[in-house]
Amino acid sequence: MRRRSVGVRLAVLAVALLAGQLLAQSQRLPNAAGSVKFAVIGDNGTGDRPQYDVGAQMARARASFPFDTVLMLGDNMYGSQEPADFVKKFEQPYKTLLMAGVQFFATLGNHDNQLNRYYKPFNMTGARYYTFAKKNVRFFVLDSDSLDPRQMAWLEEVLKSSTDEWKICYFHHPLYSDGGTHGSAVELRVVLEPLFIRYGVAVVFSGHEHFYERLTPQKGIYYFIEGAGGQLRRGDIVRSEFKAAGFDQDQSFMLVEISGADLYFQTISRAGLTVDSGSIHRGGPGL
Amino acid sequence: MSVLTAVHRAFRWGIDHYLALPLGVIAALVWVQAGAERYFRFSHAASFVVNEVGMALFLAVMTKEVVEALSAGGALHSWRHRSMAIVAGVGGMIGASLAYLAYLHTGDELSVLHPGWPVACAIDLAFCYFVAKGIFGRHPAVSFALLLAIVTDILEFLIVALRYPVADVHATGVLLMAAAILVAIALRKSRVRRAWPYIAVAGGLSWVALFWAGLHPAFALVPVVPLLPHAPHDPGFLAEPPPDAHDPLNEFERTWKYPVHVVIFLFGLVNAGVPLQGWGTGSWAVLTAALAGRPSGILLAVAAGLAAGLHLPARIGWRDVVVIAFTASIGFAFSLLVATQAFGIGPVLIEVTIGALLSLCGAVVALVLAALLRVGKFAPSHISHVAHGSA
Repeated sequence: MRRRSVGVRLAVLAVALLAGQLLAQSQRLPNAAGSVKFAVIGDNGTGDRPQYDVGAQMARARASFPFDTVLMLGDNMYGSQEPADFVKKFEQPYKTLLMAGVQFFATLGNHDNQLNRYYKPFNMTGARYYTFAKKNVRFFVLDSDSLDPRQMAWLEEVLKSSTDEWKICYFHHPLYSDGGTHGSAVELRVVLEPLFIRYGVAVVFSGHEHFYERLTPQKGIYYFIEGAGGQLRRGDIVRSEFKAAGFDQDQSFMLVEISGADLYFQTISRAGLTVDSGSIHRGGPGL
Repeated sequence: MSVLTAVHRAFRWGIDHYLALPLGVIAALVWVQAGAERYFRFSHAASFVVNEVGMALFLAVMTKEVVEALSAGGALHSWRHRSMAIVAGVGGMIGASLAYLAYLHTGDELSVLHPGWPVACAIDLAFCYFVAKGIFGRHPAVSFALLLAIVTDILEFLIVALRYPVADVHATGVLLMAAAILVAIALRKSRVRRAWPYIAVAGGLSWVALFWAGLHPAFALVPVVPLLPHAPHDPGFLAEPPPDAHDPLNEFERTWKYPVHVVIFLFGLVNAGVPLQGWGTGSWAVLTAALAGRPSGILLAVAAGLAAGLHLPARIGWRDVVVIAFTASIGFAFSLLVATQAFGIGPVLIEVTIGALLSLCGAVVALVLAALLRVGKFAPSHISHVAHGSA
């Protein structure tokens, strides 16, 4: 009787694991030819097992969803940041992706050495803040550790001059957050949000909070937090009117696809489970 | 009538003890917890006018105090005989900055927070003076603490002005500054006995010069104030000018005394609003520097000075120096000012701001130590003297 009970449990576990793998492979994105495809990770550089697991899931996802870009939302490296750490905390966990030619574009978090902006695979070309484009999408990468007048003037200029269909901003500290530990960076919000609204920024990604959260659109802008690429603060999401979806039980990463006026996203946990997904139509309601 | 008198007295007491600043800080802290977004909208709208224009007046008043301290009877007049305070001031700065950086070395946020070491070095002149006076009364320890703080802040101003330009540096600013100083000298040579031409013309030129040069215009009146004709004697630090003093420097103080209090209230209101969730590594680093680094630096510098043959002023012993070292740990308004120059808007600035505000704890530590070590007003001789006097 007891032996049978153990057997049943093992069978249930095996089915659950198999289901997890199948779910990870069940893409919820259109995967259209010619679309912009990228992944998003944040607060990842621990060098610990969970970071490696997320890296493996990203590589698995790429087999069916061939993204060529990864946005890094800061805290790309924790603790010691010597040359050996770049191998342990970046090059090894994402080895498969790097070997496949996937490009990583980083922003700096409060735990990052500011000199890491010169590390070639982060593609920051030595700048604390910069911009780059992929087809009809322009990304604006900010340094939210210290938003000085020069950076603000630069941001306004590049936002104003951009004629790209999609404008996406990303930086480390979230303007809206339901995190019990940090919460919203209200002071940053007060200075950044008016520019985002004025110049038509559609989507903002941030990290810092060690979980995944999708906020209800704020003044027409979609805000995502993805700060669980290696770190995790289990149970830290406090329910509020901002929260549309959240996941603080395991590490995670995001997959995003932009096709014409539509943006599709899927958030996948370290175990391979899809924890959130949806779409945004630019200039109209989505999700 | 008696109520009016009491209100007037309370108002004067508040003015005399620079309470406008802590009141502004308290108002900011209450406001930001109640409605952060509204608070930050206000603070960003007002920050340039308060920090770069209004604070020029506050720094001018502080410069006036230094100029007078250099006059006969001032704390700095015989500075050669008070070199120990200068050594202690420099030692305190070194101790504070080393402690700040050492604390950051224990974690991985050194890179983002290291520009804040001058925040840890600043001393709030007014608070340091009032706490020292509260503990020591008319003891020479007050002059020693004041001199130590003035030396620190002069070095601090130089560091801030040169280290944190606000924009690209333009050489034409240097020419404008030269013009501002020449105008002030010409006014002095022409025996102009009113303060406003110095402040409006030379000060205005200096403000534009600094702004144009990419440096902080809040320092605009610092090079102009020493050129104002002034009385040959120092009436005392932050003391009311004598009624018969009609020199431009005292006229300037009389005119701007109350507006400066409005400015420092607004300075506290605009800069001190920090959400309590903003506490972080930077807060600990500034606190460690203020409460451990600076006192240690001062004590070690005094020990080194004594070993090198310098002398402590008469009636000042080691126990007094220990209390002075903690009195000087208050960074408060001066640290806030430096923090706004060292960091842009963001969570890092909030972290160090919290540390700067909490450096006020140094006053409590100084008071407790004074009571434990029985110095100043806690000395047995002082207590028995007061008891006899009141009997």
